[in-house]
Amino acid sequence: MKPQAENNGIAKVAVAGETLLLHPFKAAFWEARGILFLADLHLGKAAHFRQGGLAVPAQVGHANRDRLASLLLALQPRRVIFLGDLFHSNYNQEWEAFCRLMEQFRTVGFELVIGNHDILPEDHYQSANLKIHREALEIFPFLLSHHPLKEAPPALYNLAGHIHPCVYLKGNGRQRARLACFYFGERGGILPAFGAFTGMAAVKPREGERAFVIAGDEVLEV
Amino acid sequence: MEKKELLHIGRQWFRREGWEPFPFQLKAWEYYLDGYSGLVNAPTGTGKTYSLAIPILLEGITSLPPAPSKGGGKGSVEAGRGLFAIWITPIRALTKEIQSSIQQAADDLGLNWQVAIRSGDTKTSERRKQKKNPPQVLITTPESLHLLLSNKGYSQYFRHLRAIVVDEWHELLGSKRGVQMELALSRLKGMLPWLKVWGISATIGNMEEALAVLLGNTLETGRFKVVRAEVPKQIEIESILPDEIERFPWAGHLGIKLLEKVLPILEQSQSTLIFTNTRAQCEIWYQNLLEIAPGLAGAIAMHHGSIARELRDWVEDALHQGILKAVVCTSSLDLGVDFRPVESIIQIGSPKGIARFMQRAGRSGHQPGALSKIYFVPAHSLELIEAAALRRAIKAGELESRIPYIRSFDVLLQYLVTLAVSEGFRPEEIYGEVKGTYSFSSMTEDEWAWCLDFITTGGQSLEVYDEYKKVIVEDGLYKVVSRRTAMRHRLQVGTIVGDVSMTIKYLNGKRIGTIEEWFIAQLRPGDVFWFAGRSLELVRIKDMTVQVKRSNKKTGKIPSWLGGRMPLSSQLSSSLRFKMAQLSRRDLTDVELQKLQPLIELQGRRSHVPGEGEFLIEYFRSREGYHLVFYPYEGRFVHEGMGALIAYRISRLQPISFSIAMNDYGFELLSDSEIPIEEALEKELFSVENLSLDIQASINAAEMARRRFRDIASIAGLIFRGYPGKQKKDRHLQSSSQLFFEVFNDYEPNNLLLLQAFDEVMSFQLEEARLRAALKRIQGQRIVLSRPERATPFAFPIIVDRLRERMSSEKLEDRIRKMKLQLIRD
Repeated sequence: MKPQAENNGIAKVAVAGETLLLHPFKAAFWEARGILFLADLHLGKAAHFRQGGLAVPAQVGHANRDRLASLLLALQPRRVIFLGDLFHSNYNQEWEAFCRLMEQFRTVGFELVIGNHDILPEDHYQSANLKIHREALEIFPFLLSHHPLKEAPPALYNLAGHIHPCVYLKGNGRQRARLACFYFGERGGILPAFGAFTGMAAVKPREGERAFVIAGDEVLEV
Repeated sequence: MEKKELLHIGRQWFRREGWEPFPFQLKAWEYYLDGYSGLVNAPTGTGKTYSLAIPILLEGITSLPPAPSKGGGKGSVEAGRGLFAIWITPIRALTKEIQSSIQQAADDLGLNWQVAIRSGDTKTSERRKQKKNPPQVLITTPESLHLLLSNKGYSQYFRHLRAIVVDEWHELLGSKRGVQMELALSRLKGMLPWLKVWGISATIGNMEEALAVLLGNTLETGRFKVVRAEVPKQIEIESILPDEIERFPWAGHLGIKLLEKVLPILEQSQSTLIFTNTRAQCEIWYQNLLEIAPGLAGAIAMHHGSIARELRDWVEDALHQGILKAVVCTSSLDLGVDFRPVESIIQIGSPKGIARFMQRAGRSGHQPGALSKIYFVPAHSLELIEAAALRRAIKAGELESRIPYIRSFDVLLQYLVTLAVSEGFRPEEIYGEVKGTYSFSSMTEDEWAWCLDFITTGGQSLEVYDEYKKVIVEDGLYKVVSRRTAMRHRLQVGTIVGDVSMTIKYLNGKRIGTIEEWFIAQLRPGDVFWFAGRSLELVRIKDMTVQVKRSNKKTGKIPSWLGGRMPLSSQLSSSLRFKMAQLSRRDLTDVELQKLQPLIELQGRRSHVPGEGEFLIEYFRSREGYHLVFYPYEGRFVHEGMGALIAYRISRLQPISFSIAMNDYGFELLSDSEIPIEEALEKELFSVENLSLDIQASINAAEMARRRFRDIASIAGLIFRGYPGKQKKDRHLQSSSQLFFEVFNDYEPNNLLLLQAFDEVMSFQLEEARLRAALKRIQGQRIVLSRPERATPFAFPIIVDRLRERMSSEKLEDRIRKMKLQLIRD
């Protein structure tokens, strides 16, 4: 089951009997159903820092939205489901910029599975036409959540975010590299963090678990 | 009063104490009273404090109105009285002794003066008192001085100031605290044109530069003097030799093999200081000493920077009183007050520098003219040469320079916010002052504008909806209005950046010290680790506190602390090469070199012992891959840069990946495939042509800059640590310097802080000037390429080094595809 690198550096993975396209922009696309999964965008983080007097370049926000827009244009999803931590903290102007982006893609249904950072008041989501899921969302055979679930019904495969996973690679001659990754275990998978300026945490896949790293412009299984 | 009269008063006070002033002291008194600024060049323990404290007091006699009688006008600020002099010292441990010396002299001279200390340990109530009713002499640190500048009304507070003395200037010079000092001085001089600025410095390799940095634009006025104390110091070095060099390890850094040979020294001396190079090594030595000599329990202690201050104070007091037989310590005891009972000094492993070694040796035999004895314990065989190299360098009077930091924009940004927090500042006034410092004399107007922009708009032109808030501009005055911002800034003043550390406490709340977060993260409750010489069981982690209880277990993990590995200094390296050349021609004048002879013969049989004018490269294969080892003897940092450079140049010949290991003696390139070394040697591998470009191209520059950027981001106020009691609310503002580095790299490549990180890498990490000189030297040498069958005595200590850098000309994607990089699984 070696993945074939496709156009645009996309890798394919089969989980729970379905095929997901893993995009180097750190998104997973369920082509059969036209659903795009994204985790941990942390929009507004740059602006939040700037409000606090910490000079993060404001372009970080632009870059996140640019990458999101190009994904939407390239993959043409019907639904986009954010797996939590869509917005980093309290309201700031980056939320408006994000809403304007969503308006440009009116045919797409945007949904959010609430994560620990998503603390905006409910009406912000409503007025943006963003559908909110307070609990894990089931779309057979997947169960979508922000935190990886320890106990999911056996028939479902959990897709989650929160971890911002990366792996360490090593080679002969003591080579080492640290790369963001998609991570698929027996019962669930974890997406890399989409947002720039969000950091990573190392995971060590066990035997039988699979990891796909983002290496430059390509997603590759390791 | 006439100067002559004043000098007489000073001399008389000295005589009453039973002393006679040294000539250098008298000179300093005179120059000071003539109104000069300057530098006193005198080592510790030679009466340097009184060389400047006395003339300050003498000036006080003439310029202050008679003090009101005691008891009257308590708490009120009397006209004409106020802060007269500031005494800066880099370490808090020294403040008490300086205070009591100056206070006593002031009292004896009949001045009703108050000499006070203000440091991080000073209580808030005491600080408030000092603010309301300033002492006449304030002993403080660079950080606390900046905190004073962050107070509203500082210009009033300093208005009577006549002099500022920067003690141990050589210590501050080579660090960003030096830049911090320069900036504070620039403000004080700007406000008080009559201010006399004096430094006190031990001898270093670049005395003239030390003076220039201290005085800044005062140098142009010519109103300065340099005073030198000629006090010779005798140092005797004795190496602890292994019985059989053949059975002594070829690599290592602990030196624990010679533990038993250290015991007789402890027995002979009233008290001994054992200097180790790292805190982990300190813990290990302490523990092992107790194991082989249980009788020492209670009579030995340990001292390092992570141990709680109260415990360290106890150790220092006990040393004073002579109740400790030995203290195992790190550089934490390099400086500080004299411990008279200390008779012997032991240095474990390489001291890395001549000046540091002498400083440590000087911690024994305090009486002027007394002999200082220091024992050297090598950690591995070849290190024995260092004892010979040190002996030679000390005799030749070769001392290291302290390279000042220039263009440290992180410190400048912090300083500008400090001024904005207190009284606000006007750029047209401050620009000239900052330009007048040594550090920022080359700053352009554009760079200055960028700094102002950074604190007001976050470094970018304001977008319509941008909400950046820090410093605001009102009628040309730059100020901070937000109390939150002001409070946060005051908490972050300083240039010493520690790792994220957690406090270790017993369950009853008693503090033991601090430990880095990453170490604790590896432990689970119930696990046992060693700290401050105690076996501790982890109970739980709560907030940023590690709660522990005593354990009886004898085994446990020993924490290591990241960072702090100094490279061998340029001067010691050059002395080392001198001794190496002596070894190659079997000129065994030092006992250490004689001891090493069997090892040198083995090196000769397996490979080659390079003579003067020869440069050795060894190439061999092992299970790990292909090893290519070079021996420039230039110190770790230069080897790091040279390793990356050579790897890069080879990798241009064919796609190849290297990992690079180095120590102070040489470096190794390790590859999984054959290395085309002969081809590379034909192509001018060591050329200095395109050096800067090639360094930039070798990936290490970015990686090193990333590490440097950690401190820079923190000093410039980009890293938010939260404030006491409010952690939760501001959790969303936490991030790492790494993330800042990446986003600046991606979106704001001209950010001055980012560029500063690369500049610092070039001058401090890669030591470009030194690297260039080393390459030129190698170019003039005959290259000997040897192909030993296996690792040689020279190669061994290098290839076991676990801290490695990487260099590759293969595409990451290709390396993964070819399975050259594989996943680390659980």
